[in-house]
Amino acid sequence: MKKPTIVFILCVLALVPMVLLTISIRENKAEQQAINAVPAISDSETRSSEWGKYYPRQYDTYMQTRKSDKIEDVLKEDPALIVLWAGYGFSKDYNKPRGHYYALEDNINTLRTGAPVDAATGPMPTACWTCKSPDVGRLTKRDGELEFFTGKWAKYGDEVANSIGCGDCHDGTTMKLNVNRDFLKRALDAEGSLKAADATHQDMRTLVCAQCHAEYYFKKTEWEDKGEKKVAQVVTFPWANGMSAENIEAYYDDINFVDWTHQLSKAPMLKAQHPGYETFVTGVHSRNNLSCADCHMPYVREGAVKYSNHKIGSPLDDIANTCLNCHSGTEKEFKAVVARKLERKNELSLLASDILAKAHLEAAKAWELGATEEEMKPALQDIRHGQWRWDYAVASHGGFFHAPEETLRVLGGAINKGQDARLKLRIILAKHNAADYVAPDFSTKEKAQAVIGLPFEKLVEEKKSFLNSLRQEWIKQSEAKGVYDPESRKDMVLKTSYN
Amino acid sequence: MKYIAIFSVLAVVGVFVNLVHESKMLSYLSSDPTACINCHTMITHFATWQHSSHRNRATCVDCHLPRDSFVNKMLAKSRDGYNHSVAMTFKTYGNNLRISNDAAKRIQDNCISCHREVVSQMLANSALYQKVADSTVQMGRRCWECHRGLPHGTMRNITATQNNFTVKVL
Repeated sequence: MKKPTIVFILCVLALVPMVLLTISIRENKAEQQAINAVPAISDSETRSSEWGKYYPRQYDTYMQTRKSDKIEDVLKEDPALIVLWAGYGFSKDYNKPRGHYYALEDNINTLRTGAPVDAATGPMPTACWTCKSPDVGRLTKRDGELEFFTGKWAKYGDEVANSIGCGDCHDGTTMKLNVNRDFLKRALDAEGSLKAADATHQDMRTLVCAQCHAEYYFKKTEWEDKGEKKVAQVVTFPWANGMSAENIEAYYDDINFVDWTHQLSKAPMLKAQHPGYETFVTGVHSRNNLSCADCHMPYVREGAVKYSNHKIGSPLDDIANTCLNCHSGTEKEFKAVVARKLERKNELSLLASDILAKAHLEAAKAWELGATEEEMKPALQDIRHGQWRWDYAVASHGGFFHAPEETLRVLGGAINKGQDARLKLRIILAKHNAADYVAPDFSTKEKAQAVIGLPFEKLVEEKKSFLNSLRQEWIKQSEAKGVYDPESRKDMVLKTSYN
Repeated sequence: MKYIAIFSVLAVVGVFVNLVHESKMLSYLSSDPTACINCHTMITHFATWQHSSHRNRATCVDCHLPRDSFVNKMLAKSRDGYNHSVAMTFKTYGNNLRISNDAAKRIQDNCISCHREVVSQMLANSALYQKVADSTVQMGRRCWECHRGLPHGTMRNITATQNNFTVKVL
């Protein structure tokens, strides 16, 4: 045989197995890619059940938040609050929060959001959806932030259809944690101690929560939509001066911000929302660089898989996997320590709310007897500041544990301001021959409602007719639009404080 | 014929270069753990290691290859590489991978080499008093007979990490 023929035969003998091997490797790589692929979920996918197809463990644990379904009526626990919030929505209905699964449902069912009859009727603005649903991110992208914050709550009744879920914290394509509420980024940048762009993964495990668990107000913002002047009520965190009760109080005073004028005392009031992040950062767990997720979403091992528990709730339900990761001690001891912290907070909180409610009623009496605006102003300012501080300390619910020292300190300030107001009011009452005036009894929910003249029965009637008419329309329409998974509300029963 | 021969030599070179590329052949020269998840069979082992206390201290090769000399390391790597390639290509592996006696010995030696301070007394005792039960490893008992979960957890079937997606390198 000639030499080239030999070379040719050798080459063919080498080529055949090499080509076969290449084919085999390519097959294996395709298999590897399919197994390893991070499923891409559309940015506008707001149905958590769709994400759950790829992340069954996270979804299953998230769905467990439906077990946190007890309605605890705060107004019944401390009827003084009805007096504190006279003329404001919170005097109508206020329950302790339930699981994330119910966030949207409770927002729709509470008497605070009223009984709209069409897309344009109130009483609340669109901003009240902001923290209830991943649909908010979708709508902000679709309509623009300013359009989203313009108009009445009922405008988006048929669009906001899914309760807090996957899309609120995760980016659908990378699954990374993601802040999709821009107002948090703006607030962080304004406050300055942690710029939004500098946030690490560990920071993000707190910041995704801080999107909602924070103090905010609706900043009136004028804008022009195709030549038409509109006013948006943009959710804004008042952090520019800092995040303490006093810093935020100064921020609101500087811009003369008033949430509402008190129905009885005419004081220019502030309502604290839920300054969870602001208080948490002062606490010892935050200062040791723990994140919300470290305690509220502990890791779970299932076979060879490790994942974080998405049943977000009290770490006290799972002390073995939360507290005891770092601390030594028994579950019983931990429960007792936390219970004692709560008792301390409740003691001061009840004291403060009682003092402030009496101050409101005494101010109302002073007005009735003909006190002048000039006379009343310093006392009303004390009421404003006192109630703001009390609210700031208690409204986040977890503050007593996240930041016990700060919570008690601020409550001390609230009591002081409240008593200051009452001292000033007592002098005014004395001037008007009512030095021995005693505020009426508000020791039960019914008595307190009578004191402020709340038409409770009427509100409940209106709400029920809304729930049976427009609310049902919303469900049908959002299902028709395909933004809502009927399975997600399966077996849901109406639970409220009034039915 | 001459030209056909030249062409076929070029084809062989081309296919070989492509093979090097497709198989990520050069990545096996490194000690990067992600080289071990070029194939899906190691996903469970990678994912469990990635969530273990060893992840910041010891990579795959720190435990699984001998560290006494470079020559031994490369010989072991080549031997393992050949066995794994054959198993992968002809799909002769099952869902439960078990370590060979040779690999167990290397790992045990490496455990002892890092944790020498802690186990020095045990080493001395085993030499003096213990009856050797398993002659394939130092000390006569494999460390992981007791430390069962380290570092790959007690569940390491290669189907045990479905829907895990943790092979994203942290």
